[in-house]
Amino acid sequence: MIGETLFDSDSIARRVTEIGGAISNDYAGKLPLLVGMLAAAAPFLSDLVRAVTIPCQLDVISVTSYGDGDGIAFEKDVAIPVQGRHVILVDDTVDTGLTLQFVVKTLLERDPASLAVCALLDRPHRRIADIEIAYRGFSVPDVFVVGYGLDYLGRYRELPALHVHGSWPA
Amino acid sequence: MSFAHASEAELARLFDFYRIPWQYEPRSFPIAWNQAGRPVEFFTPDFYLPGYDLYIEVTVAKPIHNTRKNRKLRLLRSYHPYVNVKLFTRRDIGRIFSRSLMRAS
Repeated sequence: MIGETLFDSDSIARRVTEIGGAISNDYAGKLPLLVGMLAAAAPFLSDLVRAVTIPCQLDVISVTSYGDGDGIAFEKDVAIPVQGRHVILVDDTVDTGLTLQFVVKTLLERDPASLAVCALLDRPHRRIADIEIAYRGFSVPDVFVVGYGLDYLGRYRELPALHVHGSWPA
Repeated sequence: MSFAHASEAELARLFDFYRIPWQYEPRSFPIAWNQAGRPVEFFTPDFYLPGYDLYIEVTVAKPIHNTRKNRKLRLLRSYHPYVNVKLFTRRDIGRIFSRSLMRAS
């Protein structure tokens, strides 16, 4: 059940443009590598890379989810080597920060020139890992959010806005 | 390892999934003393995550029944302000797992 609209498509577009501008200023002349975390960050990544006004490169990764196996691991690794690169990790939501921290730690072991985190949504209520978010779209309260790539049991990713879902998956 | 509640066991499995070192109830903190200065009440958080220097207390009681636990947490934070502790409610645990299970969905 879709509830209230948290951020409409115009608000999202404005914020993505702002973040793209900030990245363009901060990384001028550095050819940043934007690495998106599939699948939820895909629409954000797609819009963000077009809001960046400097040359950049794009790659994606995905990680296993809890219940899939013995431990967290990359399901899909980057195709572009990150060593010596200025990496911007693009995620949809930072909650506990545990998944993101695993990805950050793994990529840092590959010796990038720098690594920054860009998150569409920051939900700090249950944060465990102290993740530094360099570029933050929106801070959200303790609600389940769908739309703009975020799903509820595989649905609603295609919605252009971010909405509150009426319940959390059991 | 035996846990007091299934939610604690599930949280331990989640930490294992993320390869996060954890300890179960490693330390008790005094939170009340008698007139002789001897501790008479302790608070023992469920988990300690040494990598984050963070204690986590899990409560599965309904919010209306959390008064006693909240009192203990207040005392812990008052007498041991250097201790970093978080309370995860039943709702928090459920939401952590639903998010974790859905990450790659």
